[in-house]
Amino acid sequence: MSVLAQQLVLGLLIGGLYGLAAAGLSLVFGVLKVLDVAHGELIMLGGYMAFFVVTLVGLDPFVALLLVIPLSLLLGLALYWGLFGFVVRADEETRVKNSLLIGFGLALALHALAVRLWTADERSIVTSWGGAVISVGDLSIPVVRLVSLTVAFALIGGLHLLLARWRWGKAIRATAEDWQAALLTGIDVRRAYLLAFAIGTALAGAAGTLVTVGYSVSPSIGLEWTLKALIVVVLAGLGSMIGTFVGGLLLGVAEAASAAAFGGPYREVVGLVIFVVVLVVRPRGLFGR
Amino acid sequence: MLEIRDLDAAYGDIRVLTGVTLSVGPGEIVALLGPNGAGKSTLLNSIAGLLRPRAGAIRFEGEDLNGVHAHLIVERGVALVPEGRRLFGGMTVEENLELGAFANRARATKAAGLERVFALFPDLRERRRQLVRALSGGQQQMVAVGRALMTNPRLLMLDEPSLGIAPRLVRSIMESLIEINRDGVAVFLVEQNVQAALGLAHRGYVLESGRVALQGSAAELLGDPHVRRAYLGPLAVRR
Amino acid sequence: MRDLAGRHERRWALAILGSFGVLALVPLVVRREDVLNFLFLILLSITLAESWNIVAGYAGQVNLGHAAFFGLGALVARTLWIGGTPIGAGMAAGALVATLFALLIGVAAFRLRGAYFAIGTLALGEILRTTVNNALPEISTLPARTIATYRLTERYYLALTLAAISVLAVAALAGSRLGLGMRAIREDEEAAEASGVGALKLKLTALALSTGLAGLAGGLFAFYHISYYPSHPFGPHWTFDALLMTFIGGVGTLHGPVLGAVLYVVLKEYVALRWVDFHLLIFGALFIAIVLLLPGGLVQAAARVRRLVGR
Repeated sequence: MSVLAQQLVLGLLIGGLYGLAAAGLSLVFGVLKVLDVAHGELIMLGGYMAFFVVTLVGLDPFVALLLVIPLSLLLGLALYWGLFGFVVRADEETRVKNSLLIGFGLALALHALAVRLWTADERSIVTSWGGAVISVGDLSIPVVRLVSLTVAFALIGGLHLLLARWRWGKAIRATAEDWQAALLTGIDVRRAYLLAFAIGTALAGAAGTLVTVGYSVSPSIGLEWTLKALIVVVLAGLGSMIGTFVGGLLLGVAEAASAAAFGGPYREVVGLVIFVVVLVVRPRGLFGR
Repeated sequence: MLEIRDLDAAYGDIRVLTGVTLSVGPGEIVALLGPNGAGKSTLLNSIAGLLRPRAGAIRFEGEDLNGVHAHLIVERGVALVPEGRRLFGGMTVEENLELGAFANRARATKAAGLERVFALFPDLRERRRQLVRALSGGQQQMVAVGRALMTNPRLLMLDEPSLGIAPRLVRSIMESLIEINRDGVAVFLVEQNVQAALGLAHRGYVLESGRVALQGSAAELLGDPHVRRAYLGPLAVRR
Repeated sequence: MRDLAGRHERRWALAILGSFGVLALVPLVVRREDVLNFLFLILLSITLAESWNIVAGYAGQVNLGHAAFFGLGALVARTLWIGGTPIGAGMAAGALVATLFALLIGVAAFRLRGAYFAIGTLALGEILRTTVNNALPEISTLPARTIATYRLTERYYLALTLAAISVLAVAALAGSRLGLGMRAIREDEEAAEASGVGALKLKLTALALSTGLAGLAGGLFAFYHISYYPSHPFGPHWTFDALLMTFIGGVGTLHGPVLGAVLYVVLKEYVALRWVDFHLLIFGALFIAIVLLLPGGLVQAAARVRRLVGR
């Protein structure tokens, strides 16, 4: 029983990161109607950013977030200006298809670049307090992952507030609902797109940092995390950041439960099966509109 | 104030407007009538910047609007209440209205603007925190007009505001347009309800198959036999 | 009308089959195994790309789970062949299993549109790969007596035949009513439905043909490789390769995937020799450029150059 509980807790801990990874993708897809399948690669890049900031500058990894997030924001701006800004010129259906293909090409290129620059080896950030564990009864909760979960939740909460209270956050929501109506209201929709994409990339960078701290990073985690993010976006539906976070937690727990029930290797399959089932049965997801 | 000269507009290969010339003067209420598919919405969309015309000129207060991005046209003082309302359904009445004041020209006057809208549409004041999705068609239309009003326009354009609205509310909305006009805002109204439109307009144009077929004062149009036969139905002709 | 539609494709088919005829003579002249292996790879790639092209180019849907059918074909063929069944029957069985599976999931899958179909099929492919990986983690190696009688030229001619079949299949499709119907769906599904085209049935037919060919290609893979991990042919990079080749060459054309496959393999071999991972970087960038600027791939580029230069 306690083994199961332990597994579920660990699943919950990584679920928070799934949620954070999905939040960026959800924001970009919801606002720009662009499916960036290179999102996982952006997470990977964020992870490497964090790794080098910590290794070279010697910062604590959670403090490194303060550097990685702005850097990822800039990366997002660059990617929008250089690439995705052109994708949004087409109508919605073409947009989605094109972004899928372009994202795929981008993912390929970024993956190849990462392997070239940093080799295929796994990197991990080791902190001085890294091995610490909190014991609650029979459960041992790794402190680093717990802090990561908290940070992820804080970031999602921050995002929610940003979208609810910030003038441009509201503009972004309006653009997501109806971009033409947004234009008629005086909103510069292109700028809303730019902001949404940049924020989405920043969230990916943050997720990457937390992944590297709690687990590890290598060039090949891109596809894996893109799939996780996709699964959660479809599971939770668009329109609610909190809902996306919960969706991530659900996926984490579901994976842990299936690993306990069917054995470790099938952990990956359950997420994918949930994904396909939700896609076909309830495309708008659990919390979507 | 608004001058349109020889406007040609098309969607892809389909030509919608040909050589349209019309104008709206400051403080006027001008109606645009015509059958479905005549191109009335296309005209409004062209002025609002949602569609780039193929040829012709659109000038507002002396400045060229052709090719200007839609959100910048709002900054110049031209607001469109689009067909079908197009509100932000997942947001509250207040949020929708407040977004109307997004443009720089409207930011400073947001609070005053909100008061003005609630004065015009008291129903909305009590519903300000409700999600727009939950409102009736008529109430949604009020929000749509209110949102456009929040942009602090000098010219307000409306595309079929009475569509799908109960008659009682239609009258209410038309009356509010008169009041808005009294405040100094010019109104350019596309309406299928010809009686209502010509009831409050000073002048009108009739658009048929993408061209201006008729124009004149509201009284002239009401008396015109073609208009009466085509748009006002047998009841009106008997008068 | 029917003739006009397939004429372009028929001319190209003849040209390609002509080249295949030349290729058939190669083993008679060249003894070197690396040349034959290189050409084999090109031929396998052509088959994979053409098969993927059927759903993408003619039915208008991006299938990101194509590798699943390649893998199923390989799995069934390999199992049967090692068990004693002649390879021909094994490959046929593999193709059949792949097609049946496709039809099974096709009905549900085609309820999804556009991007959702793409990511849904991607997930399905991954489900299969993970399951096979877990169920059959050990490497599959041919028994010694089979290795002793391994002849590369046999595989070479089989690959040539399969590539020829795939080209012929696409050519026949393009000129048929089936192909026209699929084209209509690709252009505008709603309009096609309205004119009574029966979209779902056509899409399923395209899927069946596509996956059947992919299954055969999988069988060829199983026949060719001496040892490999059973989950390897299920890997997404097989799908992505087919995708890249088809797009770079030109989706929805007969010769596009062939050109793309040749370019891809040649470039990969030469660039990869010098800068191991840059070839993917180049292809990624090339792919993006093509999607944005030249959706019709090299075929479109060639057409434009011809127009510029003046016929």
